[in-house]
Amino acid sequence: MVRRRGWLALGLALLLAATLLSLAIGRVWLDPRVLLASAFAPEPSLAWLILSEVRAPRTVLALVSGATLGLAGAALQGLLRNPLAEPGLLGVSAGASLGAVLAIYFGFSTAFALATPVCGIAGAFVAAAITLTVGRGGTLTMILAGAAVSGVMGAGLSLALNLAPSPYAAYEITTWLLGSVADRDWQAILLAAPFIAVGWLCLLLTARDLDVLTLGEAQAESLGADLARTRLLALAGTAMAVGAATAVTGAIGFIGLLAPHLVRPFVGHQPSRVLLPAALFGAILLVLCDVASRFIPTALELKLGVLTSLAGTPFFFWLVLRLRRTSP
Amino acid sequence: MKRPGVPAIVAAISAGLLVFAWSGLAQAPRAPQPPPGKPQRIFSANLCSDLLLLMLVPKERIASITHLAREPVAVLMPGADEGVRINHGTAEELIRDRPDLILASAWSTPVMRRLAAKVGAPVAEIDSANSFADIRRITRQVGALVGEPARADALVAHMDRTLAELERTRPSRSIEVVAWSSGTAAPGAGTLTDEIMRRAGASNLATRLPAAGYSSFGLEELLAARPAAILRGEDRFGRPSLRDAASEHPVIREAFRGRRLTYPESLYTCGLPQSADAVRDLRAALAKVPPGDLPW
Repeated sequence: MVRRRGWLALGLALLLAATLLSLAIGRVWLDPRVLLASAFAPEPSLAWLILSEVRAPRTVLALVSGATLGLAGAALQGLLRNPLAEPGLLGVSAGASLGAVLAIYFGFSTAFALATPVCGIAGAFVAAAITLTVGRGGTLTMILAGAAVSGVMGAGLSLALNLAPSPYAAYEITTWLLGSVADRDWQAILLAAPFIAVGWLCLLLTARDLDVLTLGEAQAESLGADLARTRLLALAGTAMAVGAATAVTGAIGFIGLLAPHLVRPFVGHQPSRVLLPAALFGAILLVLCDVASRFIPTALELKLGVLTSLAGTPFFFWLVLRLRRTSP
Repeated sequence: MKRPGVPAIVAAISAGLLVFAWSGLAQAPRAPQPPPGKPQRIFSANLCSDLLLLMLVPKERIASITHLAREPVAVLMPGADEGVRINHGTAEELIRDRPDLILASAWSTPVMRRLAAKVGAPVAEIDSANSFADIRRITRQVGALVGEPARADALVAHMDRTLAELERTRPSRSIEVVAWSSGTAAPGAGTLTDEIMRRAGASNLATRLPAAGYSSFGLEELLAARPAAILRGEDRFGRPSLRDAASEHPVIREAFRGRRLTYPESLYTCGLPQSADAVRDLRAALAKVPPGDLPW
């Protein structure tokens, strides 16, 4: 117990450090003392404008979507008892991106602001539903179904952006495929926040049943777990939270896979205990990746997905190698 | 030894003729000569020459213009392209239109140029304008190519009168502006946009940036650079995209209230005689920018 508290404290300290780093570092260097002073004197000055309208929304968005991806990844891995389950690999992120792209580029969101998160959620829901229905029956089928859904959603995304009336749409394809939290405003975040909160709640409500599910589906049902309800909660929670977050950020890969695996050695393999720490580490990872994307000097800012993939792929390899060692 | 029969001789002769005809065909388009008189079926594969063409020649002599021209034409000279065929710069359209003059951009692919040689029409490469001197040169060049040098001279003269007038009335106050659309690219030194800004009585912030030509910078850098006004290429397409969402970021709206101007993008990217009017419009818009430093 004491050991777990220690890890939790370390996690929170890391989160705080990452957040402060994200607020302090940007393309424009501002003296931290000036930033700090401006934070307590909210009047229009360069430091205050940058802090409150550029860096703060960006940091909050990275925290929230990182936590969402970590939480959803942990819940899906628990539900499917599959170490590779993750919103990105199951096609949910791509589906959400497609929904958001349809809403933004074809003018629904200018007519009706809520259209972006709602379409993102719808896209995520459709993608998750297809993958979970088609892919039931084992790790391999699930991954194959996820790859198929990801492929078709990605193709739909490219098609939608190519057909979009705006000539800039094709340039912005990288944002939707690789994800970015740069230059978003508070309004977009506040619009998505209620959906994300409800999604989190749904995912957290699955905790108890996820634990029972480790014994197998039949055993879980005999112990009184309502599997249909658990599946629905996980599906709806993932669609709501990941859908709404992805509608703002675009598809961000690997965080949902990485975070649960990273925390498992420290908190144990009980799925319910992984949920919150995975959310915490998802947030830390994404904020740190975003800080790095600003820190690395390139002519055009790096996209988030570039860094999460660079960090995530070696881990993926490690996972594959470990699976090869442990599986017969 | 058997003598060759009549059919063999006929075959040999016709083969020879075929080779001769083929070599003739292959040689003919190698050096395309501009047909005498004014070209009657002009094919434009370049947005900027589309617009010039519509001003210089009657519609009957235009074979087709690019599909990109529709919206700029609707802004600059409404209705001028009515009934003019459009092309997408493809080989099929070149064959369809059988042009006697092709106006292409410097970026036209070599394949397109080879095809043009096959249909036997001369290809003229039209540069893009980076200054008013370029506009003068290009307008006269296109005028000469299409056989309307007098019209071209008149357009250039009109532009020069406007520019001279603007030079006389140049305001004493010079303010710093930037053409910024969500960090994609800010036109810097050596671009037409830069000269338009200078002639309107403003200095271009992007010339201070390290990268020459076009450079990109984000929201934070824009705020830190503190330009007196932000110019935004008025999206002639006016369709929603992420780029627009960033240009409309609340911090930009708040921090640069009353200092956000729009400009007609085609007059800045395509050098046209009307670009002089763009200078005048920009100067009028700049006069309305509140004087003094930014309030924050």
